[in-house]
Amino acid sequence: MTALSSPVRADEPMGTSRSFASTALNLLRQREVQLVLAILAVGALSAALHPDFLASSNISFILADSVSTMIVAVGQTVVVIGRGIDLSVSPILGIAAIGVGFPAQDHNLNIFLALLFVLLIGTALGIGNGVLVSIIGIPPIIATLAMLTIYGGLQFIFSGGEEVVNIPNGYGNIGNSNLLPGVPWVIIIGAAVVAIAYLFLTRTITGRSIHAVGNNADAAFRAGIPVRRILFTTYVISGCLAGLGGLIYLCHVGSADSTTGSDTNVNLMSIAATLIGGTTLLGGRGGPVGSALGAVFLSEALQAMIASRIPVIWEPAGVGVLILIAVVAEGKGSPVRQLFRQPFRQPSGVPR
Amino acid sequence: MSGTPSLAQSPVVRRVRAQTAGRQETIWVAALVVLLIGLLAYFCLVVPDFRELGVSGVLALSEQFLFTGLIALGEALVILAGEIDLSTGAMSSLSGIVMAGLWQHGLNIWLATALALLVAALGGALNGLLITRLNLNSLLVTLATQFIFGSVATAVGGNTPPYNFPSSFVSLAGTGTIGPIPDQLVIFVVVAVAVSLLVARTRYGRGLVLIGYNRAAARYTGINVQRTLFSAFVSCGLLAGAAGIFVSGFYNAARDDIGDSLLLPAITVVVLGGVDIFGGKGRLSGVVIATFLLGFLTQGLLIEGKSSLTASMVTGIVLVLGLILKIALDRRAGVHLKELLARRFASAQGPPAVSDA
Repeated sequence: MTALSSPVRADEPMGTSRSFASTALNLLRQREVQLVLAILAVGALSAALHPDFLASSNISFILADSVSTMIVAVGQTVVVIGRGIDLSVSPILGIAAIGVGFPAQDHNLNIFLALLFVLLIGTALGIGNGVLVSIIGIPPIIATLAMLTIYGGLQFIFSGGEEVVNIPNGYGNIGNSNLLPGVPWVIIIGAAVVAIAYLFLTRTITGRSIHAVGNNADAAFRAGIPVRRILFTTYVISGCLAGLGGLIYLCHVGSADSTTGSDTNVNLMSIAATLIGGTTLLGGRGGPVGSALGAVFLSEALQAMIASRIPVIWEPAGVGVLILIAVVAEGKGSPVRQLFRQPFRQPSGVPR
Repeated sequence: MSGTPSLAQSPVVRRVRAQTAGRQETIWVAALVVLLIGLLAYFCLVVPDFRELGVSGVLALSEQFLFTGLIALGEALVILAGEIDLSTGAMSSLSGIVMAGLWQHGLNIWLATALALLVAALGGALNGLLITRLNLNSLLVTLATQFIFGSVATAVGGNTPPYNFPSSFVSLAGTGTIGPIPDQLVIFVVVAVAVSLLVARTRYGRGLVLIGYNRAAARYTGINVQRTLFSAFVSCGLLAGAAGIFVSGFYNAARDDIGDSLLLPAITVVVLGGVDIFGGKGRLSGVVIATFLLGFLTQGLLIEGKSSLTASMVTGIVLVLGLILKIALDRRAGVHLKELLARRFASAQGPPAVSDA
């Protein structure tokens, strides 16, 4: 292996590694870049069919609509990087939305207090998951599936069958007004969450530990990382962000009831955004930027489906197909990987 | 493996360990039986409405949850092999809708049923192909196909899905009885016995469990891992499809969303029945008893006047308590904590993907 003597990776053709083409191909291998291209492509295609698609009102709608999914997906990403999964985010979002929705409707709750409340609600419910997974040791998928029903029941009990229909203006303004044309307020919040999560995951000891635990929990344990505490933290973060997602949902949609969260398939959407964003269920790989782009892509693709008059009942199927494509693209020997892996014809007689 | 065998490899220690593992499973099943009897006794003593149903009434209650049991049997096959299928609920909806749709278009109801089961098997085959041929994670694939099947069911069903099937069909697949025993119960017992024998007494079943326990060992033993897994997914789809037919027969109507509420109870039943969620361990008899335990618990709560959401919350709580108990038992039986940790973290995302042979 001559690759040992130079920093060139073994799967890159020799001699071309420094060239512009190679740099471009390296970029194309990044899931984030692929997603930006996909977002532009879907936008261009839809605009060609329906010129209104690129109107600034539609763009800001697509962005604003993606934010609640985006924030939940960032939490999901943290859990998935730690090699877990959180199937209970939809009722957590719902409980947070009605938990501040009723006080806001009836007593005009201050929005900063509401922010504090949703974070507390999310943290408390996230602790439930964390206890089951990291302290008791129940497999994440089963633990969070069980919590899905328990929290779903709690949400019904808390709502008492009532509905939040009327939120104060301050909430609605946050959820639906634009900072600049095409740039809604909520996308700023979403971007801030993504940026903080990115810095947390790449620049802090805890964040790096999550990667290590997801990559190889045994090795992480031997290296002195408190594996259980780290896993616990991931579920608390996920719960906390699902709670924040609930507040954003309330501000954006303006209503909440006992099925909020489940009726819009928040579980599926957050997992889909995470997977499309390049975070793998095997743990240790991926990041919140991809998930955020994944959420925007999903929102755009669904909007494009509506624009091309595909009945709304096919929406879940569309998300399902996108998940499959993302998973196939990520797998070993996937067509997408092959496409980017061997860009040039290999000279004959050179052993690999 | 060369050199002197360690203590752990000595035949005596291995036999004792195997016996302990087997005894653990027996204790678990026995505990479920005791719980079931205790539960029925409790409801008879405390809930007058339950007591007044009588024997035939209580047996008839089972029609409300046997379809969950059918799905659980298929799910158990897949989970024993170390995989998972989240698309079973949607598959039930789809098969019920396909059956009803074909019947509405003038097909004989039994032919329509056969074709719907074929569609269910094909759906399972699609899952199996994606998972075994493309080396994909079953959790992700079936999460995706769950929503695809659901959308197809909604699209096929249209605005007013068919209802009011011929009485011969409703009687056999739905609410008919033989003496005091519901038809459904008879069919369920026959299927359950067949699947249990398949898993416990045939070469195929042993292979399936070995795949879940240790995939590499299964491959070295000469088991065709991909083909066995594929057939497990087909069986799972088929059983979920059959459950969909029974649901439609019982309610005398097809609904495109009826399966959604069946998935979690089915997985709960499998786990409560003592099947290891990572595969390789468990008995089908446990799954069958857990079906009745959870089913009577839910129905009893409903008769007591609790809401269905409370009942489903109780399902979740039972699942968590069952698992806590099981983990505690494993620890007492001397399964080393480190082994548990390694096992859990080794496949925390669910079963490992099928590696290429």
